[in-house]
Amino acid sequence: MRVSQEIEITPAKVIINGEPVAVKEKGEKMLVELYRQYANDYPKFFKMDTLCRLGFIASEILLREEQVEAVILANRSASIKNDTDYLSTITGENYYPSPALFVYTLPNIVTGEIAIRHHIQGETSFYILEDEQQLEQIIKSTITRHPSPILAGWCECSGPDTFNAKLQIIWNN
Amino acid sequence: MEQLIEQLKSQIIEALNFEDMTPADIDTDAPLFGEGLGLDSIDALELIMLMDREYGIKLADPKAGKAIFQSVRTMAEYIQANRTK
Repeated sequence: MRVSQEIEITPAKVIINGEPVAVKEKGEKMLVELYRQYANDYPKFFKMDTLCRLGFIASEILLREEQVEAVILANRSASIKNDTDYLSTITGENYYPSPALFVYTLPNIVTGEIAIRHHIQGETSFYILEDEQQLEQIIKSTITRHPSPILAGWCECSGPDTFNAKLQIIWNN
Repeated sequence: MEQLIEQLKSQIIEALNFEDMTPADIDTDAPLFGEGLGLDSIDALELIMLMDREYGIKLADPKAGKAIFQSVRTMAEYIQANRTK
């Protein structure tokens, strides 16, 4: 396996291929800052939940120059932040379930949004795992099926300012 | 009516999370779906929830939605005629 590009995003820092990137904002606002800097042509970004924004913008940055055949992501908390937000719309007397929030109550929408944006027609999977080591085993078994590179990594979000992503473009040679 | 239209535009922006948009950016008579604002089916559901939540209007006939959601003006006219709050 060979990693050609990687990105790490936490609420306070962004590192692209080992180089820290200067950002003014922190947390959720930083994801918007990154969107404006690296994409800014996909208004649907603003409808996404935090987890989806995180995976989307990380993939935007990595896929500027390379194409991939598959997207394999994983995390520990599934879509818990958005699930909680959605729950608040169906709890108590103010029962107004939000369709826009409901859409993001499955974490695999992240891989779907990335695939739609980049016309990726191969495998897309989002695993819920205990830790990143388990993901490594999945990536190893997945990469053997793909002659072209894949986008894979950890994409975790448990709150508006509690998230981390580490995505890589991985080749099978 | 004009006041309702402006209020509705603000509510649409908030409900649909159009962060970069102001009420002035929305053409009162432009199509909400397809061209114009380019809304999708999830957005349509949000607009239905908005009418219920803010104006006490429950859309019983889904077929009526096509005419109601033609533009902000048609929405406002329907709200003015049918609001319960």
